[in-house]
Amino acid sequence: MITAERKPLDEIITMISPFKKLLIVGCGSCVAECASGGEKEVGLLGSALRMDARLTTREMETREVTLERQCVYEFIDQLTGLIDQYDAVLSLGCGAGVQAVAEVFPQTPILPALNTLFLGQTKEAGLWLENCRGCGDCRLHLFADICPITRCAKQLFNGPCGGSQGGHCEVHPDVPCAWHLVITGLEAQGRLDLLEAVYPPADWSKKQGVGFRKIVREDQQ
Amino acid sequence: MTTTIPDLNVTIFFCQQLDPHQDANRRVLEKKLGPRVKFFPLPCSGRIEPLHFLRALEAGADLVYLITCPEKACRYQQGNLRARKRIAYAQKLIQEIGLDPDRLILITTTPPLPKRIDHLTQKFLAEPPLKGRSLLSKL
Repeated sequence: MITAERKPLDEIITMISPFKKLLIVGCGSCVAECASGGEKEVGLLGSALRMDARLTTREMETREVTLERQCVYEFIDQLTGLIDQYDAVLSLGCGAGVQAVAEVFPQTPILPALNTLFLGQTKEAGLWLENCRGCGDCRLHLFADICPITRCAKQLFNGPCGGSQGGHCEVHPDVPCAWHLVITGLEAQGRLDLLEAVYPPADWSKKQGVGFRKIVREDQQ
Repeated sequence: MTTTIPDLNVTIFFCQQLDPHQDANRRVLEKKLGPRVKFFPLPCSGRIEPLHFLRALEAGADLVYLITCPEKACRYQQGNLRARKRIAYAQKLIQEIGLDPDRLILITTTPPLPKRIDHLTQKFLAEPPLKGRSLLSKL
């Protein structure tokens, strides 16, 4: 799941200030799960912005819509015929959603209301943890399904570093040591022999941030 | 009761476990105060969402109360604890737009239960933490 957090309200208010008619668009997928961009959050933000506009005697008209997904054309298409009636869209989608909507409707400014953060899991109600960095070279099967790139502060493929204390990371003491989890996990599976191998560095040419990555699947086209 | 209640628009969310006869009892106060008091019974205070508070303020409430069961007495274990977190979140949000967070008020009742919701409400309505109208309801 892609996680995100709402931008500070001040930043959003500055961003929307040139526009009078605003379409607030949520996304019912990842950002709804992490309680930042779903239907409820669209309602909260819409209500807060309308109240702010009244308090500052600014003219503003809003409408709230939540798409099932903001990153897939078939869902974005639901905005056709609606988006033209507004000066701008305030998107509560992740960065991918904002850009996808912008690509379909290039005439309308699409404003991001969220800061997209990381790929993570819902650990418990109200707690989301990063557990995948999208490195493009997954080796989870070798490490008891604990990602050393994401969850080890030193990103060691050949750990442990020896610095953990009481099963916690020496760099971030509030976080469990990833290698402690790897070893206890492999031990539980009877696969400790995997630790004897020396693992080469990851293929960093596939990682995030090295350019525009894409996946092409002809069978899906 | 002859308590004087300030002329404010008040929205009251409350856990209906507090008063098994809330439906009849709240009408006593609704009749007395007219449309400036609105009651919203909840199956448990934990069902409240920050959006409910914002919608109430947006609709012109000067004060919004949330009345919960006493601590450790929630029928659903954690409802009143969740309610406390939700009101704190909404207070932070309204503060961001320049509204006084004290316009959202959490009332955690004390034992014994049950209590008559109209009696309970009259007590704290008589002494609101803020006596002025909300900027939004004045506009």
